[in-house]
Amino acid sequence: MFVLKYLPTTIKREGVGVRLKLKTSVLDLDLPETERRIERFIRDYIENSGAKGIVLGLSGGIDSSTVAALSALAVGGRNVLGLMLPEKETYNPKDIEHAKLVAEKFGLSTELCDITLVLEEFYKSIPVFDLSEKVGKGNIKARTRMIFLYYYANKFKVIVCGSSDKSETMMGYFTKWGDVAADISPIMDLYKTQVRKLAQHLGIPKEIVTKPATPALWPNQLAEVELGIEYEMLDLILYGLERFMKPEEIARQLDVDKMIIEKVKNRWLSSEHKRRMLLTAKLGYRTVGMDFRLPRASY
Amino acid sequence: MEEKIKIALAQMCCKREDKKENTRRIEEITIKAKKQAADLVIFPELSLTGYVVRDQLYELAETIPGPSTKRIEDVAEKNGVHIVFGMPELSQKTQATIFNTAVLVGPQGFIGKYRKMYLPTHSIFEEKRYFRPGYRAAAFDTAIGNIGLSICYDLYFPEVYRLIRLKGAQLLVCISASPAVRRTYFEILTLARAVENSAFLAYVNLVGVEDGLQFWGGSRLIGPNGKILLKAKYDEEQLVTGEIDYGDIKPIETFIPTLKDLRPELFDELKKHAENF
Repeated sequence: MFVLKYLPTTIKREGVGVRLKLKTSVLDLDLPETERRIERFIRDYIENSGAKGIVLGLSGGIDSSTVAALSALAVGGRNVLGLMLPEKETYNPKDIEHAKLVAEKFGLSTELCDITLVLEEFYKSIPVFDLSEKVGKGNIKARTRMIFLYYYANKFKVIVCGSSDKSETMMGYFTKWGDVAADISPIMDLYKTQVRKLAQHLGIPKEIVTKPATPALWPNQLAEVELGIEYEMLDLILYGLERFMKPEEIARQLDVDKMIIEKVKNRWLSSEHKRRMLLTAKLGYRTVGMDFRLPRASY
Repeated sequence: MEEKIKIALAQMCCKREDKKENTRRIEEITIKAKKQAADLVIFPELSLTGYVVRDQLYELAETIPGPSTKRIEDVAEKNGVHIVFGMPELSQKTQATIFNTAVLVGPQGFIGKYRKMYLPTHSIFEEKRYFRPGYRAAAFDTAIGNIGLSICYDLYFPEVYRLIRLKGAQLLVCISASPAVRRTYFEILTLARAVENSAFLAYVNLVGVEDGLQFWGGSRLIGPNGKILLKAKYDEEQLVTGEIDYGDIKPIETFIPTLKDLRPELFDELKKHAENF
């Protein structure tokens, strides 16, 4: 161990990992490189899938605005359609204005489909529907948006590009088969605070970057309020968990109660069922979702 | 043996699971390299099939010799060049075991092969699930010098390179499929392996996107003094050629005599500790 004692503590080996200092700068990105990598990823997928372009849900929020910009930069705005899918209860003219602003700036076309009537028909058609049960009702909204997006994908032979980020995906803060349903999810490996930096780098208008995030499943729903934590803190916790840091070490370094870290960790682990779908009982020689390990070669 | 040879680094994007198309590309690129007077053309790891082919490996693997090596031997013979490429090799004896193999062929046909010894099975890599590791370092005396073969993650293990160098290799060839998040490590390690062994090192990496993994290219030819003699672009297909002069090795080894100063007794120590830590 005579060598190690001369190394600075930040790179001293500790078990199998390296002692991390959880500070905001660990989430810094090489922004031009990140932009280039994501655009290449989108372009490559489009070229190999034979799709004619991209359709994406354009809510006017930071995630979908960033994905819209990256998609337009990757394959050209004329090959990207931003679908605005508002509904009566969560309608906010500012969101439409923001969506249009992004579309104009990055040269993509938009279409507006008001999903209110479809939703109302859904509510009426379900015998056990309970208006007061807001999560179930909200999930219908997310899944209805998915149906609209996939209709456009089929109709115009394009792919659906998702806008989920790493923070909400790790926390399971999305609707199963709803907003997370997409052919590709270009920013799913970026934490929310990293998406904010990338959005700024891409020139997404400031009012969109700084606007509080909402899944728009019910009125006045705010992501940080629901998650019970600010993204700046959440992302550092998730970053630590991603790197196998122990909750007590994360708590110590961030100077927060260990219970908060445990809560985040439990939420992350318990929502794995939302991220890995198609589960069955293992019976055969090779099984879908288990040991059929196939490349995504033919898309 | 030639003192000076011209090496072509064929940084290629593979069509996954399509051996026919990849063989055609290997031939096309070899013809181009020959026009640039290349003596040796090097292709990336698993260039015959693409890297992320997962369970399809069981169908794609072929014996050596086999139909694909035969075709590439013909390409080498027709063009009068040496070729290194990568493929999943099906064991001739068991007809059931697969290796991640680098193959060296020349104008006279098959010269030799190397089965990857260090199979990454961590993070996004799952090589040990499919491949059996090789057990033999490989260096081959050829008309264009003594060539040692290695594959990708081997770069993290200096003993592989020490061994092929001690077997006589003056040119260390590393074929690779390295994704972008690992670029910094490979840029350092390729330099280190060349310098610590007073040898030339040719590193050829894949490009393209396979299942979300972006291979970064950046293939390079490094001199025994650690100088980058030739470098291909990041992320894009490119064929680059450069010359090496084996005569450069001796003065470098004289200046920093890493081989002269080698301490074999440390390897016994290493073995003792590696078996029990």
